[in-house]
Amino acid sequence: MIPWTDRSGRFSPFKLAILVALLLPGLYIGIGLATGTLGAKPIEVATHEIGLWTIRFLMITLAVTPLRVIAGWRRLIHVRRMLGVATFCYALIHLSLYVADQKFNLGRVASEIAVRFYLTIGFAGLVGLAMLAATSTDGAIRKLGKKWTLLHKAVYVIAMLGLAHFFIQSKIDVSEATVMAGIFVLLMAYRLAKRVKLKLTPGALTVIAVGIAALTAGLEVVWYASATGVDPARILQANLDFSFMVRPTWWVLGTGLAVVLVALVKGIDWSRLKRAPLEAAS
Amino acid sequence: MLIKNPKGWEIPESAATSESAYLNRRQLMKGAAAGTILAAAGPVLGGVAQAATEDDPSAHLYPVKQNLRYRLDRDLTPEKINSTYNNFYEFGSHKEIWRAAQRLPVRPWTVRIDGMVENEMEIGIDDLLAKMPLEERLYRHRCVEAWSMTIPWSGFELSHLIKMVQPLGSAKYVEFRTFVDKSFASGQRQFWYPWPYVEGLTMEEAMNEMTFMVTGTYGHPALPQHGAPIRIAVPWKYGFKSAKSIVSITFTDKRPKTFWEELQDAEYGFWANVNPAFDHPRWTQKTERVLGTDKRVPTLIYNGYGEFVADLYKDMPQDRALFI
Repeated sequence: MIPWTDRSGRFSPFKLAILVALLLPGLYIGIGLATGTLGAKPIEVATHEIGLWTIRFLMITLAVTPLRVIAGWRRLIHVRRMLGVATFCYALIHLSLYVADQKFNLGRVASEIAVRFYLTIGFAGLVGLAMLAATSTDGAIRKLGKKWTLLHKAVYVIAMLGLAHFFIQSKIDVSEATVMAGIFVLLMAYRLAKRVKLKLTPGALTVIAVGIAALTAGLEVVWYASATGVDPARILQANLDFSFMVRPTWWVLGTGLAVVLVALVKGIDWSRLKRAPLEAAS
Repeated sequence: MLIKNPKGWEIPESAATSESAYLNRRQLMKGAAAGTILAAAGPVLGGVAQAATEDDPSAHLYPVKQNLRYRLDRDLTPEKINSTYNNFYEFGSHKEIWRAAQRLPVRPWTVRIDGMVENEMEIGIDDLLAKMPLEERLYRHRCVEAWSMTIPWSGFELSHLIKMVQPLGSAKYVEFRTFVDKSFASGQRQFWYPWPYVEGLTMEEAMNEMTFMVTGTYGHPALPQHGAPIRIAVPWKYGFKSAKSIVSITFTDKRPKTFWEELQDAEYGFWANVNPAFDHPRWTQKTERVLGTDKRVPTLIYNGYGEFVADLYKDMPQDRALFI
């Protein structure tokens, strides 16, 4: 199936727009590599950038189902496969760049993957993504039936492997990894709420947003306290200081509140709003 | 066919200076615009280096005579690369801090020398420069992140300064501190890090002939991103041991708790001697990427300076602690 047509074979501007958006970061990084604007260690920079987009795309893929429910954007399902396959492609490019940076010394690449725990789990995540991408065709979905749904639940484990890989590879500052982890927990919270049959009203979503933002701050403190010598009290305190950066907890809160906004907009009865002025005039 | 295997100390032909060029080096350097080093800096950085250092009151001191005792086994890294790829957490935790670092005010600058010394002093950088014998040395610089560069440092041997201040017999360590001022050093707004940047050496390490106080690079005053106006270069240890923009040097009988030791002592310890046999937890230290080339070369124990420094550690256990 061509990525910019819908199931009936008609051209879909929506799908084309998503496809282009998925290609843009890779293109941008590729141009940087080709024109030599990525600094003294360009392949390493490209590896990190592509890796960052891999985890971002993975989170966007995982956002499809909650957004369909909360915002009622049913059409999102039509791009979920494309998002997932793009995540796999970026992960594959990420590894390929690492291999290129190791001068294509496959023996060393293999031994590094075996020896370094963060590379081992990163590689395991990539193998998982390959498995999901390989079973993402219509034929495979039909053939696997109920097993397909079960198999593709592996994406949650893969996301956790990817996040752990992100955290462990960070030198000292884990801010970006924390933002991604917070968003992952937020997306999991929506699923949990649905499972326990909690109605996702704007009020409930606000409670989730605030709760997960607080949890993110807690997660960050636990990381710094266990993996570094940074004073955890200062990390907590840093959340009230905006002079250097907007800290992870606020990014996660902002994401959660954006979802609340979406739910509020969805809740507005537009037909009544449009009718109101007419009624006033008559 | 003649196949020549160069010895470790031999420099490649391309890096060798012809005798006539060597004898005329001052003239060559003073014709800066035409000089090979500044040409290598390229148009982008050429401008930056000039703008950053032409008003510097010590500009007339450079270039200084090169000490030929310290030779390289590889080409010098172009200045453009060395000056746009730096770790300097005071200005951010990425490698492109060189722009932010231009805000560093390098004058007035005083260095406090205190602790267990006969002659405690607080000395202006230009007074200090006037008292010290300046020379140029070509050193390798091996970062713990498995990359390396080669740099023409200008400055003086730390031992000269130590002799001037006369430490007491009880002094066992030397501690170096970097400035603290978040008004221009944006990275220091991350108040959760243990500022100031602290580094330290034993007295024996500090007195070693390789330990060099750097005040200039590439034949001009040091650039802010390299730790102007005064930093240290300890070339047999990983780069983070070489503190930048130093404001105090303290002689003490207690081993300093260094910035990185405080943050992650299992990855960036006090000794941090280069050794390819001991990996960083997250990457191999067996090889290094040579910046400015596409080469990855084997890393040498003590970064190739074993003949000068290995004796410092001969009575210590040769274990991980010594090399992390």
